[in-house]
Amino acid sequence: MSAREAILSRLTGKTPAEVIRAEAAALLLAPERPAVDPAQVEAVFAERLAVPSVAASYERVADWTALPETVRRYFAEQGIPPVLCLPPDPRLRALDWSGFTLHDSAAPDELAVLAVARLGVAETGSLVFETSPEAPMLPNFLALHHLVVVPEVVAQLEEAALPGAQPRAHYWVTGVSGTTDIEGTYVRGAHGPRFLHVIRLAG
Amino acid sequence: MSAHEPQAAFKTRAAAALHDPILKIAVERTAGTAEAKRAVAVEAFPDFEAARTRAAAIKDHVVANLGHYLEQFEANAVAAGAVVHWARTSQEACDIVIGLCRQAGAKSVARSKSMLGEEIGLPHALAEAGIARVETDLAEHIIQLSGERPSHIIWPAMHKTREQVSELFRRSHRDPHAEETIAAMAESARRHLREGMLSADVGISGANFLVADSGAVCTVTNEGNAELSLVPPRLQIVTAGIEKIVPSMGHAVHLLRLLARSATGAALTQYTTFYTGPKRESDRDGPEEMHIVLVDNGRTAMREEGLAEMLRCIRCGACMNHCVVFRQIGGHAYGGTYPGPMGAVLTPAIDGLAKTRDLPNACTLNGKCQEVCPVNIPLPTLLRGWREKSWREGLEPKATRAGIDLWAWFAQRPKLYRAATATALKSLRAMGRGGWLRKVPMAGGWTRYRDLPKPAAESFMAQYRKGRRR
Ligand code: SF4
Repeated sequence: MSAREAILSRLTGKTPAEVIRAEAAALLLAPERPAVDPAQVEAVFAERLAVPSVAASYERVADWTALPETVRRYFAEQGIPPVLCLPPDPRLRALDWSGFTLHDSAAPDELAVLAVARLGVAETGSLVFETSPEAPMLPNFLALHHLVVVPEVVAQLEEAALPGAQPRAHYWVTGVSGTTDIEGTYVRGAHGPRFLHVIRLAG
Repeated sequence: MSAHEPQAAFKTRAAAALHDPILKIAVERTAGTAEAKRAVAVEAFPDFEAARTRAAAIKDHVVANLGHYLEQFEANAVAAGAVVHWARTSQEACDIVIGLCRQAGAKSVARSKSMLGEEIGLPHALAEAGIARVETDLAEHIIQLSGERPSHIIWPAMHKTREQVSELFRRSHRDPHAEETIAAMAESARRHLREGMLSADVGISGANFLVADSGAVCTVTNEGNAELSLVPPRLQIVTAGIEKIVPSMGHAVHLLRLLARSATGAALTQYTTFYTGPKRESDRDGPEEMHIVLVDNGRTAMREEGLAEMLRCIRCGACMNHCVVFRQIGGHAYGGTYPGPMGAVLTPAIDGLAKTRDLPNACTLNGKCQEVCPVNIPLPTLLRGWREKSWREGLEPKATRAGIDLWAWFAQRPKLYRAATATALKSLRAMGRGGWLRKVPMAGGWTRYRDLPKPAAESFMAQYRKGRRR
């Protein structure tokens, strides 16, 4: 008997699949979770980004065209040279990046990346990403400064799921790379980003 | 192996831990902070009690229908392009992983912390196969350098002080920290580990959840080291316990809310990733192949033999952070992969009760672990179950059995029992000085560390009778 058969033979029950499905669905009804007032989604999102375990900086801009200037200002404030890792996302590539040196795959010691999240989640201040040919994953984990454009914000984590066929990776970023592994002391920038800057598109 | 050898080993380990003043400080710093942060998070959560009941119900539902969900998970993972393997034992699991590494001609693997990996002895198996291992979680990196085992499931290096870490890093990092600060030490590890992660041939992780309706594998980390270990290599291998299944992402969301709050007090871990299959054809990054090894290693037996509730465990570490015994002796004294209350239940199931019967006894049964467990596992009841089994199977030492048999003989003869108690009371009182007993024959182990209050002149029963007569 294969290992698969040996394990499954001890686990397979007689409950019909529809009954299992109905039970599973019932377990999701009216979940206990931090409530987010539908009228306050934007405010809660901004608030959550500021809690110590997330500690992201946040600003609102009018639309996509404001991004190069916003990034320029952030770089100047942080004293970063104008070298930017920019994924091949046509919405970003269409903008005027004059003055920047751009590249699309991250160097091992990458300083800064700008990426687009599909969603922000107010409940936790999470940023939701999916991989695609236009959205590589590695730069978001290598760069010291993680700059993220957020076109839309939803209230709860349940709304983060992507319906239909799944991409290779669907991931939520809720702060920077942190560790408390030495004496429980919190250090930012353990492996990946030390700074997270969220740019909310207001339009 | 006789039951007596490991008992001595546990007692020796526990005694050594109790005599280590640095260990106590180190454990207290991390577990104390975790306890305080959890309390704040739970207080702020709307109806944590109901949420915990729901979490337990989700896990019970999965465990009851495990065969159904494993098949569903397998079908979806395969449809997404992953290869699914099954392993009955830790040996089978390690053989599969090593076989895959060899096939790929792998010289080095980047590993993201996984308790299941520790449970099946993967670090050892990789070393034996001559494959270099880069532990990418900061704490796992520390204990890899010191050649130890994890002492906690969330903070594997919690027993190490900053001074000890500093020394390890100075000895092994090429470009170590210049300043004696924790931030500078973390930076030194960042420089040191990055190269190893980016050049590894294989990325290996565990799974926090396996999502049945999509075939996705979910990992959570605060450091982002799982992603840095699993995205660059050509091959991704996941080793996961079969109980990690959830029906859908919605169920994972509910458990994730409780997991982070119970572990660190945060609303969510910094990085939560769902991987579904290998990289798609035109994706810019990700592995060419994704392999998932579903590991039983005693879990189906636990389900059949009255330990199904233990399969609810989501490995948050709250039970050990709140355990009075763990806080005194730390994790290594437990001797297994899993320490604390959950370890005392799991280790006998994994390693056999004969070798581990002391663990269920190293518990005050104060119930705190169950109180804080996000999936409401009746840990004290399960520990009592092991004690009873150990008694039934004759695993208790001869002296203990003889003592209890003697007590039972007297207890069944009330007159004799009362006479014996009265005599014992008299002799104990005669030994006392100023209200305390400093030494008691045959109880030297107990009185070495504390004094016993002098007993009352008469037993409770004697006083009770007198009271009734009046
Ligand atoms: S037994 Fe409960 S408290 Fe302990 S690690 Fe598992 S889930 Fe957490």
